Amino acid sequence: MSREETTLRVPFLLDMEYRYAVGQYGRRFFTELRDHARLMGARCPECERVYVPPRPVCGICYRELHEWVEVGPEGTIVGWTVVRLPFIDPMTGEQRPVPYGFAIIRLDGASTSLYHFLDETDERKIRVGQRVRAVFREKREGSLRDILHFRLLEE
Amino acid sequence: MPRRVAIIATGQTKHAARRLDVNIAELITEAVTRALQDADLTMRDIDAVLLGNMEPFEGFLFPELWAVEGWGGYMKPSVKFNTGGTVGTTTAIAAYYYVASGIYDTVMAIGFQKQSEGHTQTAITTVGDPIWERSVMAGAIGNFAVMATTYMHESGVTEEQAAKVAVKARRNACLNEYAHLQMPDITVEEVLRSEMLAYPVKRLDMCPQSDGAVAVIFAEESKAQKLCPRPAWIKAVATAHEQQYMGDSPKRLAEMRSLIAASRRAYQAAGITNPRKELDVAEIYEVASFAELAMYENLGFCERGEGGKLIDAGVTELTGELPVNPSGGVLSTNPIGATALIRVAEAALQIMGKAGRRQVEGARTALATGYGGNAWTDILILSREKP
Amino acid sequence: MSEWIVRQKIRIPFHYTTGRALTRFLTGLAECRLWATRCGECARVYVPPRSFCGRCWREITEWRELPAEGELMSYTVRPADPPLILGLIRLDGADTALVHRLGEVKLEELERVVRVRAVWREDRTGSILDIAYFAPAR
Ligand SMILES: [Zn+2]
Ligand SMILES: [Zn+2]
Repeated sequence: MSREETTLRVPFLLDMEYRYAVGQYGRRFFTELRDHARLMGARCPECERVYVPPRPVCGICYRELHEWVEVGPEGTIVGWTVVRLPFIDPMTGEQRPVPYGFAIIRLDGASTSLYHFLDETDERKIRVGQRVRAVFREKREGSLRDILHFRLLEE
Repeated sequence: MPRRVAIIATGQTKHAARRLDVNIAELITEAVTRALQDADLTMRDIDAVLLGNMEPFEGFLFPELWAVEGWGGYMKPSVKFNTGGTVGTTTAIAAYYYVASGIYDTVMAIGFQKQSEGHTQTAITTVGDPIWERSVMAGAIGNFAVMATTYMHESGVTEEQAAKVAVKARRNACLNEYAHLQMPDITVEEVLRSEMLAYPVKRLDMCPQSDGAVAVIFAEESKAQKLCPRPAWIKAVATAHEQQYMGDSPKRLAEMRSLIAASRRAYQAAGITNPRKELDVAEIYEVASFAELAMYENLGFCERGEGGKLIDAGVTELTGELPVNPSGGVLSTNPIGATALIRVAEAALQIMGKAGRRQVEGARTALATGYGGNAWTDILILSREKP
Repeated sequence: MSEWIVRQKIRIPFHYTTGRALTRFLTGLAECRLWATRCGECARVYVPPRSFCGRCWREITEWRELPAEGELMSYTVRPADPPLILGLIRLDGADTALVHRLGEVKLEELERVVRVRAVWREDRTGSILDIAYFAPAR
């Protein structure tokens, strides 16, 4: 059997719809985000880590989290890239527009980081440690996309 | 007490970007047949079969049912695993447990993926949490790149040093008849000039997408000694999981917490105190050139921040002090569901002395790793000596 | 407490490589022919054909052409307008059964259908849907 040999290929489009519950902690986060353009984290009573996204349990101490604290809206870039590779966005089945700036952002007051968009696509202008600020949409509906992106702050 | 377990045989397909000559079942058969031939066994000698595959990549559920004709599972005990990048090592560790427990004597672990059937970057984006991560995630490459900049910042590693890893991998792959990418003339310049996918990751810094399958046969002590002149004994296995979200780990690549935890646990179990001196060869799960350098540091092959110097000094070349990925690694072959099990198979081939032109002379202790999912780690240490 | 739901889609295109045996099967369908493979050891006749017998662990190289007619083993009805009737059909000479649509039959007659025959489409492309449906045979 030679590997150059080809056989028929059959196309198939996987197209499914899902409904994800954001959960109790997500509800609190997205309500604050929608109604007050405020970002909230949950603090562990033992290690005092502040988790964003907020969640019911600190995985490290295995303690329930009940204390809420405001974080951001400014933060620091922990890691970043500019995505130039075109690929199909599974959420639409269409190619996602590239390039776009994409960063791991440590919000002020948080111990964990959030993934989000940057407003910059010039690699020479972005660096680790740079300060950024969340830009909120005017009309917010309670999703992570209520943050349009993070804007690089002037030094 | 767990029983002693050894790897006695391996089989791989010719890995390629597109194996359009075979469907998934036929692809698997190719690897399984070679593993059976390697041990001079038939499917009847296999007590149980464990399968590894990363499911969204081919878009169907239960590939183990769909492909049963290919892997010899008819009426046999079987479980399918799906743990992301680690799936191959998860399957290997499970096979070890199956035999070590005393319940089964001879167990086959299989890993497969046919990436040409779907869209990997798209499918892998569904790894991201739908509420918090998916809308910004960009496949494996974007996700990797965003961690690589942190690592560069922390360690001072350069794009040139990463490119050297990419070159080493593709040159080593030329000594491996199963490897997908074989680029004998590749240069550091060429890697640096290749298309920018997501800074700092260029096309040649990244692993390819491959179609491929691998099968590895595990046996208990007496069978192993009878069937294999030089079995690869499993000396230690370890697994560690990270936290929930991508941003939870402070520095991800710069400080790979699960890799540190799992490797230290495995070293301790195997009695290894200086991995660079005591390991003879390592087959690690480096999805990108930068990852290999970070792994040198996190596996304790060198001090923190010294990953770049290790490749500069040639320590991890095939002829170096501790050859890393003589097979060409993930950078040369990446059928995801098979990839980590290929690391185990290649480490076993080194111990068995059957690695052909990529053989590390006198290899007695070998490390194999799996890394993936949400930064999870599996570690296996194989040895020529019984544990 | 009311629910808070995020709606999302997953939409991904795939292309499945069919392999040699299925390629011959699909190519045959375009010519209104049904190809099966027969295992040299257990003599099982597989439709859809496969190149390997998983039970005997051996390659299959023997081909058989089967008639486009067989026995209706079972069926199910999905309520719709018109209802979608699916049948499990064992072609004469085969050891395995195919799932396909049933047509030219009223729901109340289904219970009495024993034999079915393939009804071919005019515009065939080398797809399992080159058979439009199976209809009751006399
Ligand atoms: Zn805690
Ligand atoms: Zn048979």
